[in-house]
Amino acid sequence: MIMMKRRALLVTTVLSVLLFFLGMYVYIPSALSAQDEWRKEFDEICGKTQDAMTLPAEELKSLSERCDRLKPQIEKLDESQKKVYLKRLQMCKDLFVYVLKSRETKP
Amino acid sequence: MRKILVVVLLVMVGAGVTMAQTGIKKKRPLPADYGRVVMNNFSEKKGLAPVVFDHWIHRAKFSCRLCHVDLAFAMKAGGTGIKAADNMSGYYCGSCHNGTRSFDGEKVFTSCSTLAVADSAKQCDRCHSYGKNVRKEYDFIKFTRDLPKERFGNGINWEKAEEDGKIKIIDFLEGVSIKRQSLTAQKDFALSGKVAGMPEIIFSHKKHTVWNGCELCHPEIFVGVKKGATKYSMVEIFDGKYCGVCHSTVAFPLLDCQRCHTKPVQ
Repeated sequence: MIMMKRRALLVTTVLSVLLFFLGMYVYIPSALSAQDEWRKEFDEICGKTQDAMTLPAEELKSLSERCDRLKPQIEKLDESQKKVYLKRLQMCKDLFVYVLKSRETKP
Repeated sequence: MRKILVVVLLVMVGAGVTMAQTGIKKKRPLPADYGRVVMNNFSEKKGLAPVVFDHWIHRAKFSCRLCHVDLAFAMKAGGTGIKAADNMSGYYCGSCHNGTRSFDGEKVFTSCSTLAVADSAKQCDRCHSYGKNVRKEYDFIKFTRDLPKERFGNGINWEKAEEDGKIKIIDFLEGVSIKRQSLTAQKDFALSGKVAGMPEIIFSHKKHTVWNGCELCHPEIFVGVKKGATKYSMVEIFDGKYCGVCHSTVAFPLLDCQRCHTKPVQ
C-alpha cells in the first residue's frame, strides 16, 4: 500500500515538473514575441520620422493611426518603459501630424 | 572731510544712474558651467543632494537627438521627472550609466544601483553632487584644450570641433536607438529681422537636423505649420522660447548675434 502511494506521488511529481516545463516552453516564446512585436512596430513607425517630409499624405495618416493603435500596448509596460516609450511615440505621432498639417496649410 | 563726502555721493549717484539705465546684469556662467542642469525632482526628498548634470561633456560625445529623442529626456529642466528606479531599470541616465556600456574604450560608471558597493556614498556623489566638492572625472580645461574656441557659452565652437574631427558625436545607441536612413537635408532659409538694418537670419536646416533630427524641434518647439505664420520676437527668444530653448541654455548663446544674423541686408 505504501509502495503504491509512493509511486503515485512520484508519478504526480514527474508529471507536474513536465507540465511546468511544457508551460514555460509555450509561454516564454509567446511572451517574448509579444514584447518583440510592440518594439518592432515602434521601430518601424518611428524609423520613418527621417522621411516624414517626403512621405505621401496617405502614409503619414496611416503612420499616425498606427501610433494610436500602438499606444495601448505601450501603456501596459512597466512604469519606466512606459514613460520613455510613450513620450517617444508621442513625438513621432506629433511630427507626422505636423507635416500633414503643414501641407494642408500650404498656399 | 567734505571732499570725501562729495566724492562718495558722486560715486553713489553715478552708480545709481548706471543701474537705472542698464539694470543689474545677470552673472554669466563660467564656460564649464554653461548648460549645467541641476535636477531635484526627488533627490532632496530622498535625503540626497540634487543631481548636477554637466551638459558640456555629454554634448561633446553624443548628439542632441540621442538623449532628447531616443532616451526621451525632456527639453526643459525638471521636465523628465527621472527616478532612481528608472535608471536602475536601464532608462534615461541608466541607458548608458549601467556599468556595462563603454565609450572610447572606457567603461561608463553605474548611475543608480541597489547593489552594495564598497563606498556607496561616494558612488552616489558622482551625480548627486550639488553643494559638494566632488572631483569630476572629466576636467573641462584639459578636455577642451585643443578644441576650436568661441566667444560665449562654453567658449567652444562645437560645430567646428566636429567638422575638424576633434570630437566624434555618437548618434546611435544599440538596443535603444532606431536604425534610420540618413536624413535628406531641408533647404536653408532666410528670416527677416524685425529691426531695420539688422542682417537677416540664415537658418541652416542642415546644421540643426544633423544633431537633432526633425521631431526634437517640430512641433514641440516650433509649433506653427505654415512658414512665417508663427511670429516670434527676440523678447520671446530671450525668454527661452523658440530658438531660445537651446540658444539661451546650452547651444551658443543669444549674445552672439552674428552667428544667426549673418545675411547682409540688401
